Amino acid sequence: MSITVQLTYDMAREVGSPTIQVSGAETVNDVLRLTRQRFSQDEESYANLTRVAALAVNGVLISYRRGKKTKVQDGDRVSFVKAAAGG
Amino acid sequence: MIKGYAGRILTVNLDTQEHHFEPLDEELARLYIGGKGYGVRLLYDLTEPGIDPLSPENPLIFATGPLNGSVAPQSNRFAVVCKSPLTGGIGNATCGGSFAYALKRAGIDVLIIRGAASAPYRLEIENDEVRLLPADDLWGEGTYATQKKLGKKFKHAVIGPAGENKVLYAGIVSDERIAGRTGVGAVMGSKNLKAVSVTGNHKLEMDDPEAFKAYTKTVRKLFKEHPVLGESMKRFGTGAIVNTTNGRNILPTRNFKYGHFDEAMSISGEHLEEHELVGVKSSCMHCPVTCGRDVEVEGVGRVKGPEYETLALLGSNLEISDLKHINEWNYLADDLGMDTISLGGTISFAMELQEKGAFDVGVKFGDPTGLSELIRNIGHRQGVGDDLADGSRRMSERFGGMEFAMHVKGLELSAYDPRGSYAQGVEYATTNRGGCHVQGASMYLESIGPLTINPRNLKLKADIPIVQQNLGCAINSMVLCIFSTYGMFPAAIHNMSPNSFTHRLLSRLMENMGPLFRGFMGIKGKPMLWWEKWLTHITGQKMSGGHLQEIGARIFNLERIYNLREGLTQEQDTLPSRILNEPIFSDTTTGHPLDQLLPRYYKLRGWDKNGVPTAKTLKGLQIRT
Ligand code: SF4
Repeated sequence: MSITVQLTYDMAREVGSPTIQVSGAETVNDVLRLTRQRFSQDEESYANLTRVAALAVNGVLISYRRGKKTKVQDGDRVSFVKAAAGG
Repeated sequence: MIKGYAGRILTVNLDTQEHHFEPLDEELARLYIGGKGYGVRLLYDLTEPGIDPLSPENPLIFATGPLNGSVAPQSNRFAVVCKSPLTGGIGNATCGGSFAYALKRAGIDVLIIRGAASAPYRLEIENDEVRLLPADDLWGEGTYATQKKLGKKFKHAVIGPAGENKVLYAGIVSDERIAGRTGVGAVMGSKNLKAVSVTGNHKLEMDDPEAFKAYTKTVRKLFKEHPVLGESMKRFGTGAIVNTTNGRNILPTRNFKYGHFDEAMSISGEHLEEHELVGVKSSCMHCPVTCGRDVEVEGVGRVKGPEYETLALLGSNLEISDLKHINEWNYLADDLGMDTISLGGTISFAMELQEKGAFDVGVKFGDPTGLSELIRNIGHRQGVGDDLADGSRRMSERFGGMEFAMHVKGLELSAYDPRGSYAQGVEYATTNRGGCHVQGASMYLESIGPLTINPRNLKLKADIPIVQQNLGCAINSMVLCIFSTYGMFPAAIHNMSPNSFTHRLLSRLMENMGPLFRGFMGIKGKPMLWWEKWLTHITGQKMSGGHLQEIGARIFNLERIYNLREGLTQEQDTLPSRILNEPIFSDTTTGHPLDQLLPRYYKLRGWDKNGVPTAKTLKGLQIRT
């Protein structure tokens, strides 16, 4: 089961790609755990990298669903999304 | 005269080549502030119903407000108002740069251009001196060359070939900024007016200059430390939104067929900053945010780079992921003097039309080949460019494809797909100038800002656009940059983890506030936010959020009755069929639920079921018809 994880720009710079694929995840929590394994930073640096990013499954924020317990399926896209402004 | 105003309106008649000054109407300034508000009032009063927007009967109104001419950050904007040739309703756009400052320093609050010249002319204003000069030598020149030839002594507002050729979404360019929307440049072109150049040294009076100065210092500090105004926009420009809208599935892709573009990161503000940025010279005068991005375009040199709307509508929406191409097309559009939102929306429509075999535009999704030439042809109305120069609505009337012509009232949609931003959808449907985001920017509260509201919860979705449209009308009348409103959330909220309990609680509270939200925003208390305090210090009139909501509602309703007078109806308070009927999220089977939201919106506005403001509403807002 493969999930596409869409990273923030800063995260993408660390791994050299805008997205990564993870497999074997059933919930967003699993996706987060598997994503963490791709980053070599210590806990504090990784937390700084991801702290202000919300999470969305196929574009819908998980806070409107079941939070990190939200189920994921093969082919889903989990995105780290930062707030932005402009127009 | 109330402090903060120059106190004069200048009218130039191109038919007779005469001009005159008259005093600004203080009562109207109190009721409509200035800028867009004052301009709409003048347009309503000066014109007969049903005029042809490209005829000499359509006045072109340049209007400043009480903040212009000061050093308040983000206050160097002017509004342009006229009847729109693109929508047939109210036309207006605002523009940054330095022209507003110069116009005000010339002692002019409002400049009205009437009639039409029989040959190309330009207007030069130096304090009380007004000169109409032949402009044959400039006709045909791009906006960059025109401003360069006109020199640095004056500040300019000019049209390019698109305005001259009456491309229906031509804009008016000043420095490297554009009053882009609704075809104000085509109206200037229809008058054979190539440029307005202005300079002056009138002194502007403030009610409390010391308080203004001290408070402006505080605001500059606040901006500097703010995560959006001092960090994200300063570092990445507006293009930082690309990755956000992409993550939220609302980034227009392939003519709004999808909300996600796999290659979005390579057209983002972050990518631009890392690979293309050469400076920020193209930002507006006195603005510490400096959101303008300068890039190098091959064969041209250093020019202003693309904003978010351009990155999306000439990027993901055409399935183009190479920034170098977008930089070039953005430059071409600026030089020709065209709105990139309508341009991108019209090109993507023509591409889809071509896929259906109904039109041969010669360019296709995902392929940059031929696009530079097409953009030039649109600006000069050559070949198929002549059709595209009329916008997607008219093209769909000619060639079919109405269900995927992505406009409201004829104005192409901005780059936030309303299927993931319901309040923004209501805003698009009801905004008087058509499918635009900067008349309210509901998407900021709802989808891209630090606190977000569940798009599927319908509770506040008719309320947000009303508050935001009212605020937008007031902001565009001061005239302040709408991006100032992005500073409303304090740094503490921006720095909070969106996955934390407190953040989720605040978002939930916000989404369930219901009428409290509008009630709170309507309180006529103490001036709190910086524009409220600036207005108070400059004009001497107490201006709280509640006062501005009332003035904004007045302006919005006046625009509405102008549109109704010009023949627009509630049937145009809608969204493109694709948005209403085609799902964009994998877990839904429908599009935007506008039919469930519009009745409440009308009711809250004080309109009848046909979307007409009631006599009581008009009286309550002191709107004379
Ligand atoms: S924020 Fe950007 S658009 Fe607004 S005034 Fe400043 S530089 Fe101009």
